Amino acid sequence: MTVMAASSQLPAASQRDVVLWAEGLSKRFGGLLAVQNVSFSQYDGEILAVIGPNGAGKTTLLNLLSGVYRPSSGRLHLLGRDVTAEPMEARCHAGLGRAFQIVRPFPEMTVHENVTVGALFGKPGVSLAQARERAYDLLERTGLAAHADKEAHELTLLQDKRLEVARALATGPRVLLLDEVMAGLRPGEAQEAVELVRSVRDSGVSVLFIEHIMPVVRDLADRVVVMDQGQVIAEGTYHEVTANPQVVAAYLGTEEGLHA
Amino acid sequence: MEGRALDGSRAVVRRPDVPLRSLLPLGLFFLLALAFPFLPLGERAEYLMQIAFFTLVAGVLALSWDILARSGQVSLAHAAFYGLGAYGFALLGKVMPWFLAMPAAALLAGLISLVLGAVTMRLSGMYFAIATLAFTEVVRTIIQNLPEGAAGGANGLLVPALLGGNARAQYFLAFGILLLTALVSLAIRRSRLHHAFAAIRQGEETARVLGVSVVKYKLLAFFISSVLAALGGVLYAGKTFFINPLETFSLANSIAPLTTSIFGGLYTTLGPILGATVLRVAEEVLHNAIKNGYLVVYGLVLMLSILWLPRGLMGLLRRGKRGGDV
Ligand SMILES: Nc1ncnc2c1ncn2[C@@H]1O[C@H](COP(=O)(O)OP(=O)(O)O)[C@@H](O)[C@H]1O
Ligand SMILES: [Mg+2]
Repeated sequence: MTVMAASSQLPAASQRDVVLWAEGLSKRFGGLLAVQNVSFSQYDGEILAVIGPNGAGKTTLLNLLSGVYRPSSGRLHLLGRDVTAEPMEARCHAGLGRAFQIVRPFPEMTVHENVTVGALFGKPGVSLAQARERAYDLLERTGLAAHADKEAHELTLLQDKRLEVARALATGPRVLLLDEVMAGLRPGEAQEAVELVRSVRDSGVSVLFIEHIMPVVRDLADRVVVMDQGQVIAEGTYHEVTANPQVVAAYLGTEEGLHA
Repeated sequence: MEGRALDGSRAVVRRPDVPLRSLLPLGLFFLLALAFPFLPLGERAEYLMQIAFFTLVAGVLALSWDILARSGQVSLAHAAFYGLGAYGFALLGKVMPWFLAMPAAALLAGLISLVLGAVTMRLSGMYFAIATLAFTEVVRTIIQNLPEGAAGGANGLLVPALLGGNARAQYFLAFGILLLTALVSLAIRRSRLHHAFAAIRQGEETARVLGVSVVKYKLLAFFISSVLAALGGVLYAGKTFFINPLETFSLANSIAPLTTSIFGGLYTTLGPILGATVLRVAEEVLHNAIKNGYLVVYGLVLMLSILWLPRGLMGLLRRGKRGGDV
């Protein structure tokens, strides 16, 4: 991948470049402030986890990052460029990929065609033949090879989640946003998914993921951002945030609990 | 990391996008259509040639509508572009030869469709359908209220006869236009447009998150569809000598391509063409068999077959096959 070659040639200092910078993002739904003045940075090559109880505003934050929602206030910078005013497709072209929590396959396309769409339009200048080839490679990489010719509506939910990831990867992102793609996986499957995310990062992609499964967060995240009621309440390593009394309090009395 | 599969099954079977053999039925249809005028049609030849001509036009109308529908835009403005083609040809045909007036009228309709496409860009479903319906009324009203000297007003307009009124030549022209429409449809199917249209139709927001420039592709769908519909309108005008706003911009002309495509098989090339053929012939046979009330029977047959054949006639042809409709 050219992205990887380019970034591995950079001097160590600039590898810590900020790829994503949210600056006071807020989103209001009527009377509800779903995301409130959220600021954070993600560094190049970093795996960043966003955690928090249900309804904390994590998915809404991802919608602000990928451009599905316009922020009520605040700014977003992607790879050093202000993309606050840019539509979803422009952010994708600029290097932002996203897998949705509620899976959104194109139901009447085959699995392979679904991934081809991401490969074909994710970056300008890709031919259909190249995109189809790349989609086949990604199906192999994400364990969907045996299902290439199935229509997407025939997949199980777990396969749908893999498809979400494969399709987002196909767009050739520099920053990949994953929204609870491991929810519902058995421990063995979760381990495979963890391996996949690591390999994605190793290929030069920064990963921001939302996850409830705490062992996965512990294993995978370089840094953790904790949200509660729309706000960032803590930020740091896994051990720092889980020792934070405010974080413990936020999770107390919630169904999932901190150590689910 | 190279293709390491999580489920251990490394190899994936790579298939061609559009298998050539899937084009066979379509090729067969065009061969038959080409041979039709050479069949011993007997004393009813003139009548049969006329039916065949309008069957081809109905095919152009349905297939061009289907191309737009593939991008998720279920339009009720097809009569507008069909009519703009007809009127454009009637008016331009007075000042230039027919072979120039024809593409010029089509191009004009295509450009006007971009206006409609831009206005309805953010609408979907019923709101989109109603807006396109209203657009057709607006175009009809404008043409009806232009000075009589300009576009004939409510009374209508004389049209220079296509190809000197030679029925056989007219038939081959219609054949050529339908063939062109089918080739455009197939070219779309084999290109990135197919993937863009299908993605937009099946999830517009998701398509955008995956980088599809929705505005561009929706407008492109409108343009291509309207140019082809207008060519259908040219054929109609040049065959009938005389056009008027009420008949040309009728609701029936907007609904027919929709029902025909659903009946034949949506989002395919052969489906709308087959649908047009079967429905036109059925309508004619019924009309001759039951003079009064043939439309009731026709409507019933159409309704029941749409209920029973969820993927239209193409569902019968392609039973058990999946994905990649041709
Ligand atoms: N489109 C919307 N309209 C109104 N309220 C919304 C919308 N999306 C999310 N919310 C509300 O915003 C809050 C945060 O939701 P969400 O971002 O989905 O949380 P999380 O992903 O952390 O579970 C919730 O109270 C939710 O009900
Ligand atoms: Mg969520």
